[in-house]
Amino acid sequence: MIDTPLIRFADVSKVYHLESGDFTSLDHISLDIQDNEFVAIMGPSGSGKSTMMNQLGILDVPTSGELYISGRDMAKITALERTHMRRDTIGYIFQNFYLIPLLSAYENVEYPLILKYKKRDESGKATAMLKAVGFDEAMGAHRPTQLSGGQQQRVAIARALVNDPKILLCDEPTGNLDRKTGFQIMDILCGLHSEGKTVIIVTHDPKIAEYADRIITLEDGRIAA
Amino acid sequence: MKDIFFDLSVRSVRLNLMRSILASIGIVIGVVAISSMGMLGTNMQLQVKDQLSAGADTIVITADAVRMGPTGSSSSSASTATGITKTQLNKIKLAAGLTSKLVPVYSTNTQFTLASTPGRSTVYGLNPDDITKFLTISNGTNIEGINDALVGATFATNFDLKIGNRIRIGQDTDTSRPVLRIVGILAARGMSSDNVNTDNAIIVSDDWYTNQYGGKDIYRQVNVIVKDINTIPDVKTAIDTKLNTDKKTPVVRISDASSRLSGITSSLSSITTFILAIGGISLLVAATSIFNVMMMSVNERIQEIGILLSIGTEKGEVRRMFLYEAVILGILGAGVGGISSLIIGYSVVSYMIGTTKYFFLPESIMYIPMGMAIGLMVCILSGLYPAWKASNMDPIDALRSE
Repeated sequence: MIDTPLIRFADVSKVYHLESGDFTSLDHISLDIQDNEFVAIMGPSGSGKSTMMNQLGILDVPTSGELYISGRDMAKITALERTHMRRDTIGYIFQNFYLIPLLSAYENVEYPLILKYKKRDESGKATAMLKAVGFDEAMGAHRPTQLSGGQQQRVAIARALVNDPKILLCDEPTGNLDRKTGFQIMDILCGLHSEGKTVIIVTHDPKIAEYADRIITLEDGRIAA
Repeated sequence: MKDIFFDLSVRSVRLNLMRSILASIGIVIGVVAISSMGMLGTNMQLQVKDQLSAGADTIVITADAVRMGPTGSSSSSASTATGITKTQLNKIKLAAGLTSKLVPVYSTNTQFTLASTPGRSTVYGLNPDDITKFLTISNGTNIEGINDALVGATFATNFDLKIGNRIRIGQDTDTSRPVLRIVGILAARGMSSDNVNTDNAIIVSDDWYTNQYGGKDIYRQVNVIVKDINTIPDVKTAIDTKLNTDKKTPVVRISDASSRLSGITSSLSSITTFILAIGGISLLVAATSIFNVMMMSVNERIQEIGILLSIGTEKGEVRRMFLYEAVILGILGAGVGGISSLIIGYSVVSYMIGTTKYFFLPESIMYIPMGMAIGLMVCILSGLYPAWKASNMDPIDALRSE
């Protein structure tokens, strides 16, 4: 463990080897994100936003350079350790909500707890978390397909938070919601930030980016601003 | 245990219920085929074995019929007599050991007259004490007086004989024709492999026989009934060593039923194996359909797998989820298959074999759990690759798929 910020990109590059030739998606990125920051990542399509999110979400490792999350080099830990970090350190919120269709709203929130403790939740944490996003028990019994987009995103937020992660990773969290609902979701995220979470949000929408403390703009795999 | 991955599997099976049921039916058919065929073969074997096993524990010793003694040499007792001599009998007794029972048998063919009907049959001369060693008297008593006789079951039925009836032995032209009184009727023996076929024969005491036909202490054959059927090869060797001292000119021929029996059962068991293999083919077809259903399940749920992996589900847990699905299909198929096998197997055996008395014997009924286990195993094996494929997906690619 070295003394680093919560997240450090140290000269990170990501190159995809395609038939048409190599494609550099991230080009020598160096960046620090501190604990309890609210960061928005912006940029046009193909600028490397998604690649950066995949790196932050520990779904992928850099081609070169080092990425440290909570002081650990992501390339130097095992696949199982990366899986456990995804479960414990990071909460994901996706544009398409990505709830598990075969599970009820409640079970979706309970799921990360089951992954962590290898048993059904008896602490009431999942219920409490659903309540925090405005769901009562009856609503919790619904399957994702029976919920509106805003409701699904609330469940997704509750799921992301239930293992008390340090980092909330939001990929266009309002992209599939109407404006009003979108702002409600952003209010929830702001509240979480003020409670001490580090929030990183990828968005096209400058109005959404305004919520952040810091805006990072990517262009052709480099930090433009 | 409430395992969420098991719940997910159950829900996935329920969501695609029709497809899952169809795949399971394949397993049902496979299990039924294997169990019924196996049981059919085994019941057939057991029945044949039962029919042939009369005398399976018996070694039959006869004089070497071909050799009539060296030509030109003075006739010795062994070479002129076409039978087992008293001396040889004693040697056999020594070689066979104390646990074996010895039955010296006289036999010949004779004509007889019953009432006024003439007939012809085999006459066996046996020591009355030996009779109960290997024959069953179903009606009446054993031979006691000198003129008492027993008859076989078929003989009794054909001539409508009753206890107390009399048989006149010998040709019509004979001057003296002794009369025998029937005191008992033997139980049917069927195909017996000890060379004593009593069903159509008359059994008399050895004393009556030697009085009538002479040849005292020259037996047509000696049957050695062993206590443990597994000792037959040893006893055979012992007798052979003792009696056939000159290997070039053996004096007795030693044979037993077990070699013939094992020949028949081994060919029957190859038939069983063959029909089992046919049943196995249906399981192979079932395996393909399970594999297909599992691959469909994986391919339809790529995005879900992506979600599971990206939020921290371990590969092993994803694998487990899909293996559970295969196990559910397997248990469903094997369970229904097991019950169906019981019903269908029973009907097939009762129709084809004509009896179900062997059906519930362990060696027959075990084909049901065996078939079920094979069916379940086939399901799990078919689910291995799809489960492996699901757990090794790249979460980024999986999430992106629609």
